[in-house]
Amino acid sequence: MAVEIRLTCEKPREEFQFERPKHLVTPGDIITSDTGFMRGHGTYVEEENLVASVAGIVERVNKLVSVRPLKTRYNGEIGDVVVGRITEVQQRRWKVETNSRLDSVLLLSSVNLPGGELRRKTAEDELAMRKYLAEGDPISAEVQSVFSDGSLSLHTRSLKYGKLSQGTLVLVSPSLIKRRKTHFHNLPCGARIILGNNGYIWISPTVDEDVNESTGGFIQNLELVPLTDRETVARLRNCILALARHRLLLYDTTILYSYEASLRHQCKDIMKPEVMLEISQLVRQRLEIEGL
Amino acid sequence: ANTDVLVGVKAELDAPESSQPNRGRLEFFVDCTANADPEFEGRGGEDLALGISSALSQAFSSSNCLDLCSLCVLPGQQVWLLYVDVLILECGGSLLDAVSLAVKAALMNTKIPAVTVNTTEEGSSEIEVSDDPYDVNNLEVSKVPCIVTLTRVGHQFVVDATKEEQACSIGHLSVAVTESGSLTAVRKTGSGSLHPESILDILQTAQEIGINLNQQLVEKVKLESSVKKDRRGFLT
Amino acid sequence: MPLDGKRICGPEGTKSPLLFIPKKQTNLLDDNRKRTDGRHAEDLRPLFLRLGINSQARGSAYIEMNRTKVVATVYGPREIQRRREFDMKGQLLCEFKFAPFSCKVRRQYQPDNEEKALSSVLRETLEPVVCLHKFPKSRVDIFVLVLENDGSALAAAITCAGAALVDAGIDMYDVVIGCGLRQDEATTLVDPVYEEEYRPEDNHQSGEHGNMVLGFMPLLQQVAALQCDGELQPKTVSAALGMLMESCYGIYSIVQECLTESLKNKLKKREKDVTKVIS
Repeated sequence: MAVEIRLTCEKPREEFQFERPKHLVTPGDIITSDTGFMRGHGTYVEEENLVASVAGIVERVNKLVSVRPLKTRYNGEIGDVVVGRITEVQQRRWKVETNSRLDSVLLLSSVNLPGGELRRKTAEDELAMRKYLAEGDPISAEVQSVFSDGSLSLHTRSLKYGKLSQGTLVLVSPSLIKRRKTHFHNLPCGARIILGNNGYIWISPTVDEDVNESTGGFIQNLELVPLTDRETVARLRNCILALARHRLLLYDTTILYSYEASLRHQCKDIMKPEVMLEISQLVRQRLEIEGL
Repeated sequence: ANTDVLVGVKAELDAPESSQPNRGRLEFFVDCTANADPEFEGRGGEDLALGISSALSQAFSSSNCLDLCSLCVLPGQQVWLLYVDVLILECGGSLLDAVSLAVKAALMNTKIPAVTVNTTEEGSSEIEVSDDPYDVNNLEVSKVPCIVTLTRVGHQFVVDATKEEQACSIGHLSVAVTESGSLTAVRKTGSGSLHPESILDILQTAQEIGINLNQQLVEKVKLESSVKKDRRGFLT
Repeated sequence: MPLDGKRICGPEGTKSPLLFIPKKQTNLLDDNRKRTDGRHAEDLRPLFLRLGINSQARGSAYIEMNRTKVVATVYGPREIQRRREFDMKGQLLCEFKFAPFSCKVRRQYQPDNEEKALSSVLRETLEPVVCLHKFPKSRVDIFVLVLENDGSALAAAITCAGAALVDAGIDMYDVVIGCGLRQDEATTLVDPVYEEEYRPEDNHQSGEHGNMVLGFMPLLQQVAALQCDGELQPKTVSAALGMLMESCYGIYSIVQECLTESLKNKLKKREKDVTKVIS
């Protein structure tokens, strides 16, 4: 089996060819001394100056000025699609880890249980909660509401949400996920991908929709996934990591382009830094050509 | 996720162990810093650290691995004691394998000052350590092993497991392999059991990979010491 | 050497008497291909095993292989007091301890690194054997004490701890048997004594040499523990593994006899108690 070791001095140096975003600030930088602006996230006011409190890009919406940091925990908004993992089973609720500051809550009353949408949740259901979702189970859900302390309440009252079966979870920064109309994609390369707004991405082999819907998402198919499907999933994972590393926004088009750009390499080679760079550059070029 | 370890070797003159009066000593200390995982805070990383240091001691237990006799200064009285300190900075899987590689690389560029022993007229001995930074000896490391761990995921075994693969696995077999292909240690870890047949396969695979790994490492460390590079910092 | 505060240290420049023992390189096998204690290379030492030697513990066992003597006691399962995460699996706590007088050099009361490492080896050996899912949220404590170490202490500890678990009535997939082996060039010695196990090595020993310990589940044919050190080729390890498995089957037949014997005795005792109550 081939082994490859590299010295740190052999690392390729990353050259930045694209232009720098215009307004970068670090904590303490004065954004404006004009008093006509409103203070948004990542800023504070001192002696009539608007000052940045995080490192990031200045964004302005009319009179509201905010600074968006590159690395951040997830700040949820109602309607967001999230991917998360159950951390605790509590009284009539599950705690879900969703990359936000506080663990999110999934109430028993906001899930679909096997047996239909308009079912009453009984005391037996309360006792059997761990049967439906246990600690460590990955789920997809939608943000139902945001509590005053910033923690999220989730729901899975649609057949597209629920327990996730076999697949791979990729963690990226939430600021890299582009907000789209849909975050569920059946890619033509034979994989299904859920781009959680919280930066958690779930990649799984394509499954028959009918099977998934009839079980309500609570029955996991634990049959062995064929090697080709697993390789597709692994390739997608590596591509997403390559895009994330070079800070390209993630949505179906970029992921598909990167997948196509990666096909000339072996799946494992995509983890090499120079291949990652190459793929990201190819994707960037293609986006520019198409004017996206 | 990356795995990031830092290894330093320090030499001291000390008394030998009573069971091996004319051998130098080798001691491994592993420190799992809280930088790697908040769980290591306080005494949290102790179990992992002990596991790694005992695996290293086991891998180096054969006297052939490192010529400890060459580290003897005065038999029964003074020998070199090598402290190998391992610092875990980030763990993203295959920690033991990475540590063993770093230990071997660190031992390769360890320099022991030359020592002269003068016998005085009364018959007592005086030890003089050279302070010339170029009057040093290198260690013979051609038989120092690297550790290859095969992780059982389902019914298959993978090398160089990621953190996720390790989380899915219940059994590991770590094999320490020298450049010539001898196995200096084998240990099963984790809470699972293995079938004897698969062990035989693992040993063969581990040997093959281990030989490769050793060769590559030696080659690269030699290259590293020969190339001149413009350094911007410690890590690049 | 670690300092023992409770002992008076000798004057400066004191040397251990062990330094003055002449290092003689004895042959492992004599002219008749017999070992120092008269065994053949693949022979095991006579084995004595007794269960239930501690009346307070949930289960206990004592094993004796000539001069290697090991006691194991099992307590629990009992509830884990400070649990971090919810886990439906039980936990094992193992402590492996050498008695202070068990080895050539005095051992400290405080567990040293070797003992801590052996404790975790023992835990990882027993975890695949015990049906952990049968007692969620609870923990089984297993304490192993080596009274005298004349080689193969870990192997004896594995067998002994396994027998103690059986005595405690803990659910197990199989019995677990430990066996050690010493490889010295072409010579393979099963169940080595102390002198064979810690044989002073030549400075430039060319051939293969090493120690192996196997923890084996004989009916499921699963390896629960495998430890080896020294310098060996994969082929040698494979061959030795086969030999160790053979020996484990040998030990298993004895252990099984002991286990059924102890069961019979317990039943007899119970019958006696019952008849006593009736009369």
